[in-house]
Amino acid sequence: MPKILVIEDDADMVTAIRMPLEANGYEIVAAATGAEGLQKVKEIEPDLIILDVMMETTTAGFQVSLQLRSPDEDSEYADYRDIPILMLTAIHTTTSLRFGPDEAYLPVDDFVDKPIDPDVLLEKVGALISD
Amino acid sequence: MELERTLARLADGARQMSRADAAAVYLLNEEGARLTLAAVSGFPVALYQQEPVAVERSPLDAAALSGRPVIVGDAHTDPQATNLPGDYRSALCVPLMHKDAPVGTLHVYATAPGCFDERDAALLSPLADLGAALVAAAREIALLKAQESGKAHFIHVATHELRSPVAVSQSLVRGVLKGYAGPMTDKQADLFGRVSRRLDFLESLVNDLLELAAGKAAGPEEEEPVLLNGSVGRAVLLLQPRAEEKGVALTLQRCPDRLVVQGTEDGLDRIFVNLVGNAVKYTPAGGNVTVAMSRVRDGIEVQVIDDGIGIPEEALPHLFQEFYRAPNAKASDEVGTGLGLAIVKDLVERYGGRIEVQSRAGQGATFVVTLPPVDF
Repeated sequence: MPKILVIEDDADMVTAIRMPLEANGYEIVAAATGAEGLQKVKEIEPDLIILDVMMETTTAGFQVSLQLRSPDEDSEYADYRDIPILMLTAIHTTTSLRFGPDEAYLPVDDFVDKPIDPDVLLEKVGALISD
Repeated sequence: MELERTLARLADGARQMSRADAAAVYLLNEEGARLTLAAVSGFPVALYQQEPVAVERSPLDAAALSGRPVIVGDAHTDPQATNLPGDYRSALCVPLMHKDAPVGTLHVYATAPGCFDERDAALLSPLADLGAALVAAAREIALLKAQESGKAHFIHVATHELRSPVAVSQSLVRGVLKGYAGPMTDKQADLFGRVSRRLDFLESLVNDLLELAAGKAAGPEEEEPVLLNGSVGRAVLLLQPRAEEKGVALTLQRCPDRLVVQGTEDGLDRIFVNLVGNAVKYTPAGGNVTVAMSRVRDGIEVQVIDDGIGIPEEALPHLFQEFYRAPNAKASDEVGTGLGLAIVKDLVERYGGRIEVQSRAGQGATFVVTLPPVDF
């Protein structure tokens, strides 16, 4: 059963993510802060990380992804660099025009918009885990 | 700083009219306790008093601020002239009065004694009044601008706070509707469907209010030359999936010229995402939306043409009003807040352009945005 770590501070949003994913055979582990999330990455070695952008600070999610993908050889997360990251954004479509995974400064693999559409979420999760 | 330039002209004028060697304008702070040098004419740089002066330490100003001009015949003998700058011997100090309240003082100086009399005071008083009115107007404008930007900031913060619970609620409801919380009766599915549509509306409203507030909060200093081909192209690219999903043919007629306008990239993206989004939204399956841009006689023009449901004649005059939606748009299943076109018009006019619409009910619509070109 593929394991997904959901780093999201809103428990209701975690429920919204959990519902379709658990129904499709994924195991969900949740973390409510960036620090707890980084800790859980080491503990459970997930197959995928779903990461909220804004948590305790507006950029907490970015910082988590930057730490996980640090190119630094001595990085304590070096072993977890290849775990795919799906980032949750609440950024409206209009302003997300230049906000894509091709942006080198944002080391994530894909984005999913809030509010979450369960079908879109399942499709993106499926694509990232099978890669 | 328009006010600074105007006050400098005022100082020049006062100096010439009274044949003085130098002139200076001081403005009173809000508490009325200190005067700050605002403009000078013929004044040696070494004499500039940059620090605000306490009114109580300047008998000349203190006397003038009570509402009447004060003449210093000779600084060597006049006790009011304790703080005359440099080697000036005579001076005239006229209050800047607005609605019977002082806002500052106008000084003229001469190196010779006895240069100013009552006639000079009578000559300079109207000039001082004009200066006072300008200062009051400038302060009023600054206050209004601050209030407007404060209001926009409040809307921004408030809507930002609303966005998160709306997104969470909608995510949960979508999960329930897809059956992930267990099977539902038809009645439950119908009711949750209605909740979901209301949440879609709320989400659009929050997003539109944020855009409107962002537009009003942005200052012209953030504008720069922007490649319009890019903005229009991105809008079409962004809306292509929605058009395909709906069965609407969305076509961009590219323009080989580089069309550059003054604005912000975000603002221009918003304009065209809104217009192309509306065209796709209100064009039924099988319809066409064409986006074209070109250089025209008086600017750069972008046309968004659709053969959709059109706009009834009686709705046209209200189309750009905040929260207005044409009756046939309201009657459609499409979610809309009536803010999109208000946002577009606001932005287009901010960038010195205009927007026009030609349409009839049932016969499609053409929106034309014309923006002034920038040589780049």
